[in-house]
Amino acid sequence: MTKFFNKLNLNNKLAFIAIVLGLTALIIGSPTNETKVTINPNDLALMISKGADHIEVEELADWIIQGKMDYRLLDLRDDKSFNEYHIPTAENVPLSELMNYQIERNEKVIIYSEGGIHSSQAWFLLKSKGYKSAYFIIGGLDEWKDEILFPSAPADSTSESLAQFNKMKEVSKFFGGSPIESTSNTTEKVIVPYLTMPKIQTTAPVGGTTKKKKKEGC
Amino acid sequence: MNAPFYKFNFFNDEVSLIIAFVIGIGFGFFLERAGFGSARKLAAQFYFRDMSVLKVMFSAIVTAMIGLFYLNWIGFIDLSLVYKGDTYLLPQIAGGMLLGIGFVVGGYCPGTSCVAVSTGRIDGIIYLVGVIAGIFFFGEIFPLLSGFFYSTNMGEITLPQLINLPYGLIVFLVVLMAISAFAGAEWAEKKFRNKKT
Amino acid sequence: MSSVSNIINENISTVEEKVLKTPKPYWNPYLSGIGLGLVLLAAFVIMGRGLGASGAFSSLVAVGVDKVAPAHVQSNQFYEEYLGDGTTNPLKDWLVFEVLGVFVGGFISGALGGRIKKTTEKGNRISVRNRLIFAFIGGGLMGFGAKLARGCTSGQALTGGALLNVGSWAFMMMVFAGAYAAAYFLRRQWI
Repeated sequence: MTKFFNKLNLNNKLAFIAIVLGLTALIIGSPTNETKVTINPNDLALMISKGADHIEVEELADWIIQGKMDYRLLDLRDDKSFNEYHIPTAENVPLSELMNYQIERNEKVIIYSEGGIHSSQAWFLLKSKGYKSAYFIIGGLDEWKDEILFPSAPADSTSESLAQFNKMKEVSKFFGGSPIESTSNTTEKVIVPYLTMPKIQTTAPVGGTTKKKKKEGC
Repeated sequence: MNAPFYKFNFFNDEVSLIIAFVIGIGFGFFLERAGFGSARKLAAQFYFRDMSVLKVMFSAIVTAMIGLFYLNWIGFIDLSLVYKGDTYLLPQIAGGMLLGIGFVVGGYCPGTSCVAVSTGRIDGIIYLVGVIAGIFFFGEIFPLLSGFFYSTNMGEITLPQLINLPYGLIVFLVVLMAISAFAGAEWAEKKFRNKKT
Repeated sequence: MSSVSNIINENISTVEEKVLKTPKPYWNPYLSGIGLGLVLLAAFVIMGRGLGASGAFSSLVAVGVDKVAPAHVQSNQFYEEYLGDGTTNPLKDWLVFEVLGVFVGGFISGALGGRIKKTTEKGNRISVRNRLIFAFIGGGLMGFGAKLARGCTSGQALTGGALLNVGSWAFMMMVFAGAYAAAYFLRRQWI
């Protein structure tokens, strides 16, 4: 075979190589099969143990207050729950539709569910689909209510924990929540359906606007 | 998946402009290597005397196509992040026809005219002025054209998707088609080269 | 002493003649094509986009019109697309820089190949003046057509071709069809 190849002139050599590559491509067929995925379990295990798979509610609250819009926040619950209340800047994507949802693989995706379990499972699904930056909110919406909307006064009265609580009071008010001052107050934390959404100062939204300059055309 | 590097924020916009410049140098270099700074050589394609346009274009397309296919197969590049552009069937067909006619009238295409200008061709300069005039004219009558301009949008669609055949099969067919075209080109050149220019 | 410098000068000018002034034959077109394909592939891998040319001139036109008549561009969607929202200079555009590179790359290759010459490319049966008129008209047709088709041979045919875009292949076929159809009528310009 190599003798035959060596006898060919340059152009024919190139043609031969091209045909071989083409035939191989034919055999490979369709490189991207949407139903099968390849994961690196060691990588993922490492990410999980390092905590690189999730973010805290306080971090997200910070980003929203600062108007950082470099992420896509997805609410995995059904639309009824979503309409009752959702974290500001969230999009409603029920878990069943998550895999078909239009998100580029280089975008930062943050997901949350009611308690956080579904979202941690969905994180694995996103990673298996090749999303480089995927995070779930640890504790889910429950944690958001507990820490952000209705933060409780600390049990001890050290200056640090009091300072922290004061900060959380401001955050809570920003999101329209109500901090719980005294620890003896055990009333049910009810989310008022028409909780006013805070005015978010956002920078340019992810995904580009219509006014953006034509960037990638010819 | 690490590529396309820019889409994964390996570097910022400013650096991408430098990269654009460097890639452009490579582009212009190989265009001139092939002799495409000369309108006569380019036009000779359409009189079957010199089939370099076909050879260069399809070699380039096949090379990049095969490269993309295999890089995608080994998971190095994420094709979903490569800009493809929507297909607007009718405007592209009409534009292609105009471009083809303009090619023989003008003797260049916008890319090769840049190479012509930088190697001293005066007709290249005039050609570029014409291109700018053509774009300006288009811009001015754009409100009248916008209906047609945005018509027949098929979205981002590739040949494998259109005829519902595997990507690899299409790659193979394109390679076959290109090789056949090359064989035909060699034959045509031999046959017509004897004609006195 | 002066004879030595004379000899040196003579040698330099002959080298100049040989290297820079005498045109060398072009490369094997298939190799040039492969080189071009690799550059295109590099663009895909590094930037996630392909090459282009006409887009840079569109930006140029848009900027020009904006400078002369800024009110005019407000209502025109075509110019708007190339000008953006005003936060960045429209000339700080990937294609603009790429096209600048094309000029440089073409020059380098031309210089190395001894092919830089102030001349007008034309056949024997046409005058320089008429050739230049045709060059202008041809450029105009192509500028217009490239905008309709969202690209020229670099952007649509090469880039879209490698990506197997339907529109790009349709475009490419039409370019060849149109050119071959028109070739007969313009034969006096070239052969």
